[in-house]
Amino acid sequence: MKLADSAWGVWSVWRRYFSVFVKSAVYYLVTTFVEPLLYLLAFGVGVGSLIGTLYVGGARLSYRSFIFSGIIAQTALFQGFYEGSYGSFVRMYYQRIFQSIAITPITLSEVLWGELIWDASKATLAAEVVALIGVFTRDFPPLSLLTLLPVCFASSLLFSAMGLASAAYSRSIDELGYPQYLLVFPMFLFCGVFYPVENLPRALQAVAWIFPLTSVNSLVRTLTLGLPFHGWAVVILLAWLLGLVVVSRRAMTRRLVK
Amino acid sequence: MPPSAPLSVVHLSKRYRQRSGDDFEAVSDVSLEVAAGECFGLLGPNGSGKTTTIKCISGFYPPSRGEVFLAGYNVHREPKLARQFLGLCDQDETLDSDFNVFDQLVRHASYFRIPSSVAKERAQTLLDQFGLSEKAREPIESLSGGLKRRLQVARALISDPRVLVLDEPTTGLDPDARRMVWEVLAQARSRGVAILLSTHYMEEAQRLCDRAAILYKGRILDVASPAQLIAKYIARDTVEEEVRPGVFWSRPPNLEDVYLKLTGSRLGVDGL
Repeated sequence: MKLADSAWGVWSVWRRYFSVFVKSAVYYLVTTFVEPLLYLLAFGVGVGSLIGTLYVGGARLSYRSFIFSGIIAQTALFQGFYEGSYGSFVRMYYQRIFQSIAITPITLSEVLWGELIWDASKATLAAEVVALIGVFTRDFPPLSLLTLLPVCFASSLLFSAMGLASAAYSRSIDELGYPQYLLVFPMFLFCGVFYPVENLPRALQAVAWIFPLTSVNSLVRTLTLGLPFHGWAVVILLAWLLGLVVVSRRAMTRRLVK
Repeated sequence: MPPSAPLSVVHLSKRYRQRSGDDFEAVSDVSLEVAAGECFGLLGPNGSGKTTTIKCISGFYPPSRGEVFLAGYNVHREPKLARQFLGLCDQDETLDSDFNVFDQLVRHASYFRIPSSVAKERAQTLLDQFGLSEKAREPIESLSGGLKRRLQVARALISDPRVLVLDEPTTGLDPDARRMVWEVLAQARSRGVAILLSTHYMEEAQRLCDRAAILYKGRILDVASPAQLIAKYIARDTVEEEVRPGVFWSRPPNLEDVYLKLTGSRLGVDGL
């Protein structure tokens, strides 16, 4: 009964975000499709024609397929992080939405779950759009759309929580630049989106594996391109996910509640 | 036994750590009860603990000591049940700018599980009462400060609460709008709503409140009806005040005289 009540609270908050999303659905859908298509064009066709074929983990694949599966993980990262950081900062600091809902029969804890799950839902949708385009270009098998869902959602939730924690610790919206430049961009550049992490020197490889995007990339490529499965990728992803969800919720609560 | 009054605050204290690292007790042992149909004023200077008290009443801040009951439910232990009975207008603007004026009210009602057909009807009635019907489809940012304030008071009423808590609801309102809010409060009160009102306008408090508490440095100095407070602290029939150099007004004493006498940093008017 209590759990059902809380689930209803989280659902009401999710629904609020969804109805705002629907009002600008055309904008979101256009941008969601345009961004990966630009990457596909620039890297798949442009850079891809320079590189051609790639040998990774004993498999032979086109650079286009490789980069395109990387864009799935990158989309989860960017969309999740931006919605969780800038999005929630605006809602918490300028719009004071958390504060106005958490005085109704919905608790702050439920508001924060709603926020995280919404941010992750939106990022999952965007990542799946990338996968869908990849299915159309015959880079990925159609079934991967389904098998990718849990990985996309878990990694979107992870990066949303990274964003929410950043928002909770930032005094001003400008300070969100710190995690963006010190965490998000380095992951984007060094965690296997553009090239296999195996190409990095050994020491850097180990560092790359500490950061969660490498695991996300690894799992996505197993599902879309049939590259070897690494069990530790699941462990690393879940450890980050759990840690960041706990930290982000606690930090945001501490910021708002005296 | 939970208290029977719609709103009951029992020995509430709230202490928290300041940026400097020092502990600060913002509210010290505050107790009050608001009966059905009563309007209770919470008066005090800036920083006296009014807003912290209200944040504890809504359950947003956990109390350091003491308890708050809404319709008999402990708001800290059972926030979902207790807040079903609460309508709150914060001091800060907390309107959801992603929704227009009308949808704002309907959305807020959804957090109380009010069916949308009922919510839409109530929203229309409230917009009429607050003179906002013409703005129903307007976005929030197109409203002036005074209209936003009115909308936020209206939003506090959308759940048809038994307890209405208003933190400086009429700040920034013109005289006409202020009277509009007063009228709605009078109607709510005649329906048996218990109202807790924090305000800096002593004339407003004297007009609306059955009883008022003077809060100073987190403590309640005294609680009584405005008339009793005036009789107790200002024992005379007229007060003389120099309003401009050489211009003297003679008038009956009012709640502001009491307020200044108890909480002011300087002597009140007429050397009180």
